[in-house]
Amino acid sequence: MTTLQLLNDIISALLLLAPSAAVLSLVIAGISLRREGTMTFAIGGGFTKWMFWAIVFLTLQPLLSWFTSFGVPVPLPGGGIATGWLASLQADLAQFMTNFVVLRLVPTLAAFFVLRAILDAASGQHPLPSVLAAMFLLGTQTTYNLLQSYNTGTRYATVDVLDSVWNHLVGTIMPIAAVLALIGAILNFATRKPFTRLVAVALALLTVSAIWKLLVSMM
Amino acid sequence: MNLGNMSFDNGILHLANWMGNVIMPTLAAVFIIMAILQFSKGQEFSHSMYGALACLLVSGLTRAFETFASQAAWNNPDLYWITIRTLIDWVANVILPVYAAGQVAAMALRLGILSLVQPTSGWLRHFVTAALCLMVSGLLRLAEFFVAQGGGGVT
Repeated sequence: MTTLQLLNDIISALLLLAPSAAVLSLVIAGISLRREGTMTFAIGGGFTKWMFWAIVFLTLQPLLSWFTSFGVPVPLPGGGIATGWLASLQADLAQFMTNFVVLRLVPTLAAFFVLRAILDAASGQHPLPSVLAAMFLLGTQTTYNLLQSYNTGTRYATVDVLDSVWNHLVGTIMPIAAVLALIGAILNFATRKPFTRLVAVALALLTVSAIWKLLVSMM
Repeated sequence: MNLGNMSFDNGILHLANWMGNVIMPTLAAVFIIMAILQFSKGQEFSHSMYGALACLLVSGLTRAFETFASQAAWNNPDLYWITIRTLIDWVANVILPVYAAGQVAAMALRLGILSLVQPTSGWLRHFVTAALCLMVSGLLRLAEFFVAQGGGGVT
């Protein structure tokens, strides 16, 4: 039985919109990073959930190839979208995401988070979560490109990207976070607040891979 | 605004650089001012004083921490323990001997100047502190010896 052309076109349109959905997930992840309220993002919280969905959308096509191995053939339509109105709808939505959301809305949201950081400080809270959220939002496009560069295109692409993100987090972001922890420790010491916890955290952030290996060797 | 050139990595790196190299040296002056005011009121001022020094040493302390954290291979399960042990070694064998010298100087000041005015000034405390600073390893070995002696339990 042949698949209806319109159905094929709908599948094509949805697959072509997956990158836009991934970018949108990254934007929502950036907002969740602040909304979770602390400097630490909760595993299983909004930020990680939306990052996960961004990666799933990015690797949707390789992920679907698993169904073939389950014995359920998933013939993905090749080529473009034959139905005119559907093709223009897909193009319009993709353009809306790029021109409206990424290029205009995201910088404005980031600017609001900078203001939020100042207001956070005024109300006695820490300004860093809002600053980090603003930075994450401004880096949405680059983060998307980074995730895309990790996409191996194989059936394991989703976990490959997750692995690479972990490596990037541990190897690039956490050593920088260690410096921020050290600065926090110095400020806490000078203002007579507990500081040893932050010293231990700074050292732990520099040795995350080793702590992972320690955990593995304990099992 | 070119969003293609903006990355979270660059943002957080430059934030850390700005904090460490611009804001913290400025805050050092604030802590020195606080130390002076606390000293004038007879309050404890050492936290502000050492805090000001640490504010100027962010880069150096970061390099020190990086050195502590690279005493073994990145995938060595003992690396975190080795890192903490190296930090403790550094404090006990590098920082405390310097602190001991400071305590000897404080003792000399007490003996030479303050004891003329106040005979009960605590010069002995500075002397004992200096001695203890130089004996951290020995004290640890002593404690280990006591614990080892008690390994058999009470008979």
